[in-house]
Amino acid sequence: MDFEPNDDQTAILDGLDQMLAGLRIQTPKEGETVVFAAALDAELAASGFLDIGREAGFSILESALIAERLARLPVTAETSSSAIVGQMFRAGEMERPLALLQGSPLAPARFLPQARSLLVDIGNDLLHIIVDPARVEPVESLFAYPYGRLAGLDGLETRSLGKEMLAPFRRRWRLAIAAESAGLMRSALDTVLEHVKTRQQFGRPLGAFQAVQHRLAMASGTMNATYWLAMRAAWSDSESDCAVAATYVQDAIPIFTYDLHQFCGAMGLTLEFPLHYWTYRLKALLGELGGSSAQARMASASTWSEAA
Amino acid sequence: MEFGWSDEEKAYRARVRDILDRSLPEDWDHIAVHGPGSGLQTAFSRDFCKLLAEEGLLIPHWPASFGGADGKSWDHFILGEEIWAAGEPRGPQYMNVNWIGPVLMRYATAEQQAKYLPPIIAGDVIWCQGFSEPSSGSDLASLRTKAERTEGGYIVNGAKVWTSYAGLADQCFLLTRTSAGKSGIAILLVDMKSPGISVKQIPALIGEGDIHELFFTDVLVPEENRLGAEGQAWEIISYALQNERIGIPRYEFARRILDRAIAKLKAEGRFDDPVVQDRAGRVLAKCEAARMMVYRVVDERAHNAPASAFGNLARFTVVQADHAVSDFMLEYMPEGMLGADPMQQAHHQRAIAAGIASGAAEIQLNLAARRHLELPSETYRGL
Repeated sequence: MDFEPNDDQTAILDGLDQMLAGLRIQTPKEGETVVFAAALDAELAASGFLDIGREAGFSILESALIAERLARLPVTAETSSSAIVGQMFRAGEMERPLALLQGSPLAPARFLPQARSLLVDIGNDLLHIIVDPARVEPVESLFAYPYGRLAGLDGLETRSLGKEMLAPFRRRWRLAIAAESAGLMRSALDTVLEHVKTRQQFGRPLGAFQAVQHRLAMASGTMNATYWLAMRAAWSDSESDCAVAATYVQDAIPIFTYDLHQFCGAMGLTLEFPLHYWTYRLKALLGELGGSSAQARMASASTWSEAA
Repeated sequence: MEFGWSDEEKAYRARVRDILDRSLPEDWDHIAVHGPGSGLQTAFSRDFCKLLAEEGLLIPHWPASFGGADGKSWDHFILGEEIWAAGEPRGPQYMNVNWIGPVLMRYATAEQQAKYLPPIIAGDVIWCQGFSEPSSGSDLASLRTKAERTEGGYIVNGAKVWTSYAGLADQCFLLTRTSAGKSGIAILLVDMKSPGISVKQIPALIGEGDIHELFFTDVLVPEENRLGAEGQAWEIISYALQNERIGIPRYEFARRILDRAIAKLKAEGRFDDPVVQDRAGRVLAKCEAARMMVYRVVDERAHNAPASAFGNLARFTVVQADHAVSDFMLEYMPEGMLGADPMQQAHHQRAIAAGIASGAAEIQLNLAARRHLELPSETYRGL
């Protein structure tokens, strides 16, 4: 048991930070709901950071550390699906960016406008659809991810990956939700902490009021617990740990995002204030893969086996 | 970063479990239901702690220079998890080994250590902590129990309340006031047989013999029984509370009670209900969140890092987990509170005190807000 990153993990995160510093990523100043960072996406693809889980001596834990760190950014690129779910497949088998769906292949999916591969859990099989960007219709939303849906499946190359791939696919998707959420929560909380330390009402900072302090302390507890549950899940890559981590965070997102917005007042509802970049990604993740009830039932089933 | 147990740690856990299996009597559940402060459990603790001492498992985390084994922080927690989850057969003596002993090792004089540590090491002494007062609960620094200087010591007058284990205690770790302010607090180590002390048990929901009122009327305490200097008490209390807040692995008992409940629900065919599975999964997640938060604090200790306010956050998460399990049990296994499962009731009684003992949960949030999040003080009035 050791909660400190080892030398290799520290080196990876330092390298990632250096790459990000070189890209000079800024918080968007124009009021937009979605900012897809194409340059970041390209750099990540070229750098190999998203493929580190396949490297000798590394595991999906290093992938989760990277996904968490990248989720802190105000801009977005397809990271956790490639870094965590994509590592189930052989190198080169699955061209990224990846989009993930459960249910209908024609439902809106995160990153589908940029995706080269769409993975669809249709209940009795996992499908891999080669995405033709010309067949993707963008979907406008408040969620701070780019969304799109396929206009139809005719003419798209589709292959069955087999029913046996469903369990690992769902497990890694749960882990990706948890790892990405941990990073989103950290930046959202940091943004609100800065706001309540400087915004003054009744002659003192908002953060001096106990009603605010308690809920932010609870939010910090939620963020930290999410992080450590996600990292443990990444380390073990077990059904139970991944389901527990996803249950915890999807269960916590509603009150976490409510409180953070509440303390920013009307400013938090504007596109000018960056909070929505993280909170609306969290709200998007809230319903993925069936939402908290599906994860909770999976946590039960996998922890107390032969249940469910 | 890695989250597994080493082979040595697994063997250590197995050894503790083996000792518990061998030493707990068949009617242990019925003993444990009354709580660590009950007469039955306190009496049992004197035998059990002696056994642990013989096995080298009472104070393994203490330095070797004080009779311990320089044990690792993680081993200390493995030991605590197993024993607390078994219903705490150490009775009130868990306090001795978790924080009273460590405080004495750090702050007591050599003479005090020679007097007070051997009975703790032998597993044959009960301590109580005289902290809260009728007008000083969460606001501990406002305490009023007076210690007036007299020749050779102090005369103590006042009252304490909610004092755990006082009814059978041999010694009291007593906070007293010698002058105004935080610097006017002194810690006295008081022999509970001293003339002028009376103890009254408070009937409560949390178990027999757990909380008491303590009255001090002209109690003479020798000066050599003062721990640290007058004015040093707050530093000592802060150190003691760091050890106390996460000293009890409550998440582990909660998790095992949940596991037992699921086994029963499955045996009765009631776990097929997806609503029950949903609720159980959410409660499980809270337990595991609490575990990871506490482990994060243990890891700080294992790395010899200075104590941080993360312990306050961890404590709050533990309170949430304990209540979540208790509420699940009340909803789906109410029969356990009606005589069917003494251990379920024992857990419930521990859980409902979790957010009160060691500083209210709201105090933990206050401290986390100020120290961990660096939010401004409530008394801030602007520039």
